[in-house]
Amino acid sequence: MNMQLTLASRYLLGRKLRTALTVLAIAFGVLLIYGLNSIMPSFQQAFQANAMALASQVDASITNRAGAAFPAATLARVTAIDGVRTAIGTLERSLGLPADFFDHDPATPDRVAAVTLMGGEPAALRSMATYPLEEGRFLEAGDADAVVITRSLAEAAGVGLGDTLRLPTTGGLAALTVVGLLPQRLLPGNEEALVTLGEAQRLLDLPGQINVIEVNFDSAEKARRDQIEANIRAALGPGFTIGVLQAGAELLNSIEMGQQMMNLLGILGLLMGGFIILNTFRTVVAERRRDIGLLRAVGASRRTVTGLILVESLLLGALGSVIGLALGFGLARLVTSALAPMYGQFLNLQIPLPGFMPGLALAAVGAGVGVTVLASLLPARAASRVTPLEALRPAIGPASLRKLTGVGFWSGVLMLALAVAALLTRSATWLSLGSLLFVLGLLLVSPALVTPIAALFGRLAALLFARDGTAQLAEGNLERQPSRAALTASTTMIGLAILVMSAGMISSISITFQRMLRTSLGSDYLLVPPAVATWGLSVGANPALAEELRAVDGVQVVSTLRFAGSQVGDLPISVLGIDPPAYEQTSGLTFDQGDPAAAYAQINAGRSVIVNGLLASGAGLKLGGTVNLLTATGETPYTVVGIGGDYLNAKLPTAYISQANIAADFGRREDVFYQINLKQGADPAAAEAAFKRLLQPYPQFKLVAGQAYIDQNLALFDAMFAGLYAMLIFLAIPSLIAMVNTLAIGVIERRREIGMLRAVGATRRQVRRVIVVEALILAAIGVAFGLLAGLYLGYMAVVALSAYGFSMDYAFPGSAIVVAIAAGLLFGVIAALIPARQAAGLPIVSALRFE
Amino acid sequence: MPIVETQNLSKIYGAGEVAVTALDHVSISVEAGEFVAIMGPSGCGKSTLLHLLGGLDSVSDGSVLIDGQNLAGMKDDDLTRLRRRKIGFIFQFFNLIPVLTAQENVALPITLDGVKPAEARARAAEWLTRLDMAERMHHRPDQLSGGQQQRVAIARALVADPDLILADEPTGNLDTRAGDEIAETLRQVSQQWGRAVVMVTHDPRIAAYADRIIFLKDGKVNDQTILAPRRNGDAATAAAPLQAPA
Amino acid sequence: MSVRNAFLGLLAQKPRHGYELRAAFEAIAGGGVNWDVKPAQVYATLDRLAEAGLVVCTSDLGEGDEPGRRVYALTEAGLAALRQWFDEGVEPEHQRDEFYIKLMVALASGAGDPHRILRTQRGLIYQRLHGLTTQRNALDARVALAQVLLLDKAIMHLEADLRWLEFVEARLGDIQRQPLPAPQVRARGRPKKGS
Repeated sequence: MNMQLTLASRYLLGRKLRTALTVLAIAFGVLLIYGLNSIMPSFQQAFQANAMALASQVDASITNRAGAAFPAATLARVTAIDGVRTAIGTLERSLGLPADFFDHDPATPDRVAAVTLMGGEPAALRSMATYPLEEGRFLEAGDADAVVITRSLAEAAGVGLGDTLRLPTTGGLAALTVVGLLPQRLLPGNEEALVTLGEAQRLLDLPGQINVIEVNFDSAEKARRDQIEANIRAALGPGFTIGVLQAGAELLNSIEMGQQMMNLLGILGLLMGGFIILNTFRTVVAERRRDIGLLRAVGASRRTVTGLILVESLLLGALGSVIGLALGFGLARLVTSALAPMYGQFLNLQIPLPGFMPGLALAAVGAGVGVTVLASLLPARAASRVTPLEALRPAIGPASLRKLTGVGFWSGVLMLALAVAALLTRSATWLSLGSLLFVLGLLLVSPALVTPIAALFGRLAALLFARDGTAQLAEGNLERQPSRAALTASTTMIGLAILVMSAGMISSISITFQRMLRTSLGSDYLLVPPAVATWGLSVGANPALAEELRAVDGVQVVSTLRFAGSQVGDLPISVLGIDPPAYEQTSGLTFDQGDPAAAYAQINAGRSVIVNGLLASGAGLKLGGTVNLLTATGETPYTVVGIGGDYLNAKLPTAYISQANIAADFGRREDVFYQINLKQGADPAAAEAAFKRLLQPYPQFKLVAGQAYIDQNLALFDAMFAGLYAMLIFLAIPSLIAMVNTLAIGVIERRREIGMLRAVGATRRQVRRVIVVEALILAAIGVAFGLLAGLYLGYMAVVALSAYGFSMDYAFPGSAIVVAIAAGLLFGVIAALIPARQAAGLPIVSALRFE
Repeated sequence: MPIVETQNLSKIYGAGEVAVTALDHVSISVEAGEFVAIMGPSGCGKSTLLHLLGGLDSVSDGSVLIDGQNLAGMKDDDLTRLRRRKIGFIFQFFNLIPVLTAQENVALPITLDGVKPAEARARAAEWLTRLDMAERMHHRPDQLSGGQQQRVAIARALVADPDLILADEPTGNLDTRAGDEIAETLRQVSQQWGRAVVMVTHDPRIAAYADRIIFLKDGKVNDQTILAPRRNGDAATAAAPLQAPA
Repeated sequence: MSVRNAFLGLLAQKPRHGYELRAAFEAIAGGGVNWDVKPAQVYATLDRLAEAGLVVCTSDLGEGDEPGRRVYALTEAGLAALRQWFDEGVEPEHQRDEFYIKLMVALASGAGDPHRILRTQRGLIYQRLHGLTTQRNALDARVALAQVLLLDKAIMHLEADLRWLEFVEARLGDIQRQPLPAPQVRARGRPKKGS
């Protein structure tokens, strides 16, 4: 073992560049996996901090499963339950604040992004927790317009004892007098504003309603507590849930999706790394046949030789993983600190910097090392089969074509056929399997195809360099060792395939979303809350505002969205209330299935629902089927009358129902989003002035012109795609650099031949050209395969996304193909430059002597 | 008892019409401490014979006995262990591991056999000193001349105290002077340290260092010449009847 | 011829007695074992050289004609003769070879097995080569380079002989198929006895 370690580390140090590149490949995969996964918990932490702060000193929090408010009388039923010592009912609501709410400066986001309005009976509140006042007094029963806040909130809002604190509510701005100041808040989470229960019910427009019951039990014993919880469940029925409040579940869901995509990228990165390692070790074994043969001759067993290669890969894997881990940790912090202000601004959430996560680190390192060792397993086995005789025999004969078109080739062909067949199934599972098969199949068939393709491109190159025989020589070199050539070309192939695939996917996503964007947000004006899509965090407005807007001179139609959180089974979903005739006029859904006109009509007629693709695939819904939505009163069946969605909610499973139904089943009458169209020939300036005046009590809404909003979103798209492209190029580069490595090895192995070329009169230029042409042919092969694979995979990804519920149009990535061809050939030439210089620089005599 | 002995050893490459007989019923034996050169025109099977003696290649017919053990039919692991302990190899191209120092290269076979690294290094140093390479112990192969590299290879062949040293054209890649030095060292290996040395060479000058020369032709033993009588009075080998010429 | 010229050279170094001259010659020629010169031959040679005026006898002791006591020195003419020797090349002699004759005779007569003759010769040469290399490697080239060089010459010639033997062995069949060199038949004279 010790000897293997010595040998492995020496060999690795002996080829620093190659070692560095291989390590980079692994590090990249680990970086993505660790970095991206450690971001998620930060977000979760932010949400849970909210919830935990709420549930601080109580044994249980009882809420409606749909998050809806319920009659205050429910409290009496809980108090009567055996084992409940005390119970209080509160009405709580997180009020998302616009970034310029307190300081009126949109450039610098306020420190406080959201305030939780908490209404409770003063005596009851004090029975649950202690409120050590620094100044003033606590709430008293019957207090009107009085609020108790922390010192930190007071400072952020710039108010003091006796001053007026303004908060946005559905009925417009509320003005509350600060009667007491609590010490600075210690726990993470939202700042709280304490008011009496009656005040809260008034401000939130929920008379006689509460939404949380906090309970203290009469025992600390586990069995007894479980019993009490069971009692509560039995008393309240399935519509209620006991436990920590799940705030922002729909946002977490969306983040999770992004994380999964990134994880896919990370796994792709690791697979790439694995492939590069396979490539590296195959060349390593080929390069060291003589050394290995010698080891066998002096008494190393097959196991020892296998071990040697494995130890080497273990070292590489460990090194790469540790570096990847360190970079991933940095990336997570970087991304979080870059996103935090954005989230602070749009979603009113404070995101903590992610800490080090040992479990995840272990998993990421495990994956990194695992992939490395796995990838080196085949070459290690090949190494163990090297006979001691190879120490004595320098030459290895060329592979015969019969061997090349053997089992591997035909199983590759079969795999390709299966992969294409998988496209027809349109099932996500088969598609992902198909993509794997496709890449594997390409790798398997490529050695046999190298000869004809090299001949083709060789002829092309011969036309370019017609005057000397360099092209023929280069072509001959490739055809002599087709396996090696295929291996080198396949590194390019993988890199370009990823590029073309992503380009196909991204351009498809892009055009689809743009189409949706124009449909969904086609109105003249929008009123946008601070948190778009994660509607639960925003404070909307009473129906009165919509009426006032409709009354403005020149307004043709106003359409609003109403929101409620819900669940289908265990899947958290958004329920949006729409008002079809108006909604259709201002925006509208993009339908995959069902007739739009009929669907809108049915929605207004009864308990009918239009679901978006994500929900349809997530819950397995069919047109004409039934879905049980969790409402304030329990599960309620709805008929699916259409499958389609809008741009804003595309990332989340969403159900669209009528506003009448959302009021009846979810108790929501609050508008969270407005779209306004003006009459033909109306005066925009006058209308805008009128809107602004009406919105003064509603600072939570921002007035945006429709076109401006679309442009803003498109710019966001572009920025996102640019980032994605940068990442992909990062992913593609190591594979392209691996080509340099393989080419360089080719040069080293052919030193004697190159010396001979020079001796018989080839100029340095010509020698250089042989190598460059060889690389160009290789790159051309790689590009050809890469385009093929990339186009297939891109199309496959689009089909697969459709299967997941994102129905999309396939866009042919024409420009990306041009870029890929140029990049592939350019990298081919760049990859050849170093080895070509090296080859041309060889002194003739020493090159001839080299054995 | 001879250290290595072959009985009607044959090696045939390929099968059917394209079969090539590389060795044809060769019977030789080498005693402890004897220095034997194997000569013959290229393609006569001399390298094949050496490979078979070292268990590097499989026997087609007949047997190879190393210290009484028949190599034919041995499992790879057993063969590997036998090579480790009984046989030392010296190659034309030295075949040192480029990333290891001279000392580490020499220590390799016994490290592979489980000797503790410190002890292995000490034994390697001892042999390198005996071969006049003490000062170059920590050099890598590329910092050594051809002759020096071959000395390191000899030390490596000797470090496990094998009974048999097999050398395949050990001077083939060296100039005359370095070649003479290596040949003289091999003579020392047999005379002073009592190992049997079997050396394949095509260079008459190098072959003349041996105690006995076996001439191969077309896969058969064509002639033997005794250059120096057996020192330990074991006349059996010296007096062994020559095989009839082809 | 070479002994005569060697004497001239050794006398050019310094005047010497006859026995001194003989010892110096033998030392240079690789020892008495290698090249033995009889005292009588020494004095005969010196006498001939004196007659030709190439050396003079300077009997400084004046004690009569005892040969061992006479001291010889080089004359101007002697020096010129020495220079002339230096200026000329030495004819190499390899074509009168006993083994070759033996082999041809064996082939011609059919009385000996040419393979066996070859093998015997090869064995002999290898034994000599073995002896010479042993002898040469026992010398320290740093102090006895002259001897080493002489041994090297012999070794290299033996190597050449061995290569030649290999060559002959490889082509023995061809030689046997060809007519051997035979004397040309003269027009006049007695007819041959055999057919």
